[in-house]
Amino acid sequence: MRSIVQTLLRRAGTHKNWAPDQRRTASGASGRKQAYIKRVQGIGVAEMAVESNVIDAAGPYDRAKALSAFKLGDLTFYWITRLSAISVLLILGGIIISLIVGAFPAMKEYGFAFLWTQRWAPSADPPVLGALGPMYGTLVTSFIAMLIAIPVGLGIAIFLTELCPQWLRRPIGMAVELLAGIPSIIYGMWGFFVLGPFLANTFQPFMIKIFDGVPVLGAIFAGPPSYLSLFNAALILAIMVLPFITSISVDVFKTVPPVLKEAAYGVGCTTWEVVRSVVIPYTRVGIIGGVMLALGRALGETMAVTFIIGNSFRISSSIFAPGTTISAAIASEFAESDGLHQSGLILLGLLLFVLTFFVLAGARLMLLRLEQKAGK
Amino acid sequence: MTDLSVSVSSNAHLASQQPLPEAPAKVTVRNLNFYYGEHHALKNINLTLGTNRVTAFIGPSGCGKSTLLRIFNRMYDLYPGQRVTGQLMLDQTNILDPKLDLNLLRARVGMVFQKPTPFPMTIYENIAFGIRLYEKISKSEMDDRVEKALRGGALWNEVKDKLNASGLSLSGGQQQRLCIARTVAVRPEVILFDEPCSALDPISTAKVEELIQELSENYTIAIVTHNMQQAARVSDKTAFMYLGELIEFDDTSKIFTSPTDRRTQDYITGRFG
Repeated sequence: MRSIVQTLLRRAGTHKNWAPDQRRTASGASGRKQAYIKRVQGIGVAEMAVESNVIDAAGPYDRAKALSAFKLGDLTFYWITRLSAISVLLILGGIIISLIVGAFPAMKEYGFAFLWTQRWAPSADPPVLGALGPMYGTLVTSFIAMLIAIPVGLGIAIFLTELCPQWLRRPIGMAVELLAGIPSIIYGMWGFFVLGPFLANTFQPFMIKIFDGVPVLGAIFAGPPSYLSLFNAALILAIMVLPFITSISVDVFKTVPPVLKEAAYGVGCTTWEVVRSVVIPYTRVGIIGGVMLALGRALGETMAVTFIIGNSFRISSSIFAPGTTISAAIASEFAESDGLHQSGLILLGLLLFVLTFFVLAGARLMLLRLEQKAGK
Repeated sequence: MTDLSVSVSSNAHLASQQPLPEAPAKVTVRNLNFYYGEHHALKNINLTLGTNRVTAFIGPSGCGKSTLLRIFNRMYDLYPGQRVTGQLMLDQTNILDPKLDLNLLRARVGMVFQKPTPFPMTIYENIAFGIRLYEKISKSEMDDRVEKALRGGALWNEVKDKLNASGLSLSGGQQQRLCIARTVAVRPEVILFDEPCSALDPISTAKVEELIQELSENYTIAIVTHNMQQAARVSDKTAFMYLGELIEFDDTSKIFTSPTDRRTQDYITGRFG
């Protein structure tokens, strides 16, 4: 048996500091170690008493060797995960660089004036290009979409987790997930053929009539009704991002400990008060995460928006007027563009990139503020 | 019998202790049965909680102590498939009345849970939150009420300088006292404690027990505990439950010195449970 212990200790290293230990272990603790090794190998104690040299016959138990096999696996695992993580940085960097390279001619030509020029005349000579219209459209459609999708999405999530009878839970949950699975081109066609005409014939005239003559709102809801408008695009966007907000909110609402909700009910809260004062504050970070994901999608969504926004670069105060977004402008013009025009479109893409980055960074900042306010 | 004699001698101080005079009933339970779906969890429970008395519920895990407590404030109502039969009165109010306003009931019957459950807000708001549900009062009145509640929860001196810190920043024992203060703040008549000390260290436990003693001057208290010394220390009456039945219900001193039922005797002497 001594041989096992010695083998183990040899493997552990022959540094001279080990020497006293080694002697002690070899003489004193060998019995205990032996018993342990036997246990590890699943051999009964009784058996051990009879055939004490059975291990020697089978060859020493080489833990170090077993460990070194794991080590290789560990190392491989470490490098695979590390390379995966690094690849993200490489891809991101590559995209930014190629965007900058592609956009460089336009940047040189228009400079910062690109940001506040409304005119978009690629066929003029020389072409006049300005990003104000698409930027405005992108921000306004996303803003309206979130204005609609956040309350509705949270409402669905609250209903599903707190109020919904069991039998209705699955159908609604599945419907929400299916909504997320519909390709955006289908939303575009539906918006073009069904939703657009419907809104133009009912909702839009109604709003225009109500707010006619009211100072600010009158300008926002101004006529004439149109099949293709910022509002239609925003509504489609809202429907498209709804599942993100709902499914993430449902998941985080489920993480609220039941006892915390019971405590709130215990002081006499109604369901609404429990949700407002306990469930939402407790899950704030998760909800904002879901909203950010949805906002990211809304800012970049292309196909459905291109169908129904009208592709007009003019900025109108009315949300019922046609407009365009950055991604819609690129999608509808990129195929027929060349030279400075194409470079201008790439610059638009770069702007969208920057815009998205700032919106997400702003959201992070807001989250930080919220956490400080909550006194964490 | 040897076991019993040991227990009698170790609880000798209880025998000498005079039980408090019988108090008027605050909560009356008659022929109460409770079902989790098909499972018959409580069988024909009959007992009364005396006004401004502490009643302890002891018994092995799964015997229905907590279940009984959760009926007193209709907490079971939150979950489908749980139902109750029998009669349960809080003074003249029928607690089991399906038309009863649950929010008002829970204002009258407060509950403190096994784990501390501060709400995700500041210490001040944790207390003010409950008060605001029922009363519209001015800022200065609210400050008074919050201070009073925190004093009531024996927490004021520890938190008076950091009322705007998150309730979650307190230690476990402090959080539990915050929860007690929060419960007291809405001025209930009955307070239910569901193993309030099982997640606390001995010093916090002692503080909470002391607090329960003080609260019993003004509130009717029901406490579920796994700690029999705790039951003996804090309660006036003790109910021993086993497998969904109420085996014995009597003065605490009597239960711990001369129980009449064999099972009670076995449980308090540690032979099972």
